[in-house]
Amino acid sequence: MATMKIKYTKTERARQKKILKISERMLPLFEAMEKSLMATILSISEKIEEIRLAIERNRRAVKPWLAVMGDEWVDISQFISVNRTITRPVDVAGIRVQQFERVDFNEIPVNEETPLWVDDALVHMREQLQLLAEIKSLEKQINLLEEELLDVRARVKLFENRRIPNAKTAIRKIGQKLQDDERLTIATAKVVKTSAVKR
Amino acid sequence: MLNEVYLISSLPALSYGKTPPISLEEFRGMAKNELSSRSFKVLDQVSIRAVDSKVRKSKVKSVFNMQLALLEDISEIRKSRTENRKAIPGHLPGSLLEVNPLDREMQIMQWQWEKLDAIATGKSFTLAEVIVYKLKLQLLFRMNSFSIKRGEAVLDSVVNPDLKKED
Repeated sequence: MATMKIKYTKTERARQKKILKISERMLPLFEAMEKSLMATILSISEKIEEIRLAIERNRRAVKPWLAVMGDEWVDISQFISVNRTITRPVDVAGIRVQQFERVDFNEIPVNEETPLWVDDALVHMREQLQLLAEIKSLEKQINLLEEELLDVRARVKLFENRRIPNAKTAIRKIGQKLQDDERLTIATAKVVKTSAVKR
Repeated sequence: MLNEVYLISSLPALSYGKTPPISLEEFRGMAKNELSSRSFKVLDQVSIRAVDSKVRKSKVKSVFNMQLALLEDISEIRKSRTENRKAIPGHLPGSLLEVNPLDREMQIMQWQWEKLDAIATGKSFTLAEVIVYKLKLQLLFRMNSFSIKRGEAVLDSVVNPDLKKED
């Protein structure tokens, strides 16, 4: 750590006191923000896990009839695809993120000659695509919140390890120096006075 | 008539649920060699997949009627879903409403198979029997395409297209 250059003046001491006061007020705010971001990230991660479980449940439900999707008569990809994911901006832990609303699908309606299983498969696919899009959206939220968390953690460390200790050290050193100067001035004055009396 | 006799005699037997013993192309080639051009044209127009209005005029009107009955019931099942009521199929067995989509499709194909058997009854060594053979062969190929591995790949190609690209 580079040595701190201190101006040993009363003005500098006042300035350092002000820095200390502000830093001590800001630190709890950043710590609270850090906790809030961590809690939010955790709750989003849990939500992602729940969605993954729902996807797995749906997959298991389809497994007994999955073979029918191999039907050579049907190209089911022609019936459904994702056009775009619709989101809306919201503030989460003070950060603006995009919240998942729904998926807009490109869909071709089945005709009378389309086998019946296609209807069931489309219901399943629609649901899985919605859930997967929601996961993607939540993962983006986590990325944004993690970036912010890194920033907040850096600030907390800055206040804890640099600003507050530095200000405290500076105040102490300036105080000692000013006290020493005062003592020296008094001693010098006494010596001068004594010499003048002797003469 | 003799051509049909020769063709039917040389075709391998088909069994429901078994692997097709002959490819559709092979069958088509054999039929083309043996049938008159008029009969072959009729055979070419018939498919288990779609109702061709031209078939109605031919000797196999019963195939058209079978397909029409199937479409009516499928339409009824779809309609009942949108109207949130129990479907009342007029031709297909009611049990198919209680089973999963794979079993339902299998029951529909079994129903088609049995109907085709009925259509061919009493029409041995005729064009009708050749047509029924073709339709049954198509059913077997369709049945054979139902596989978990293939189904999984199809599902992933729609639900996880990114995974497909990564592969």
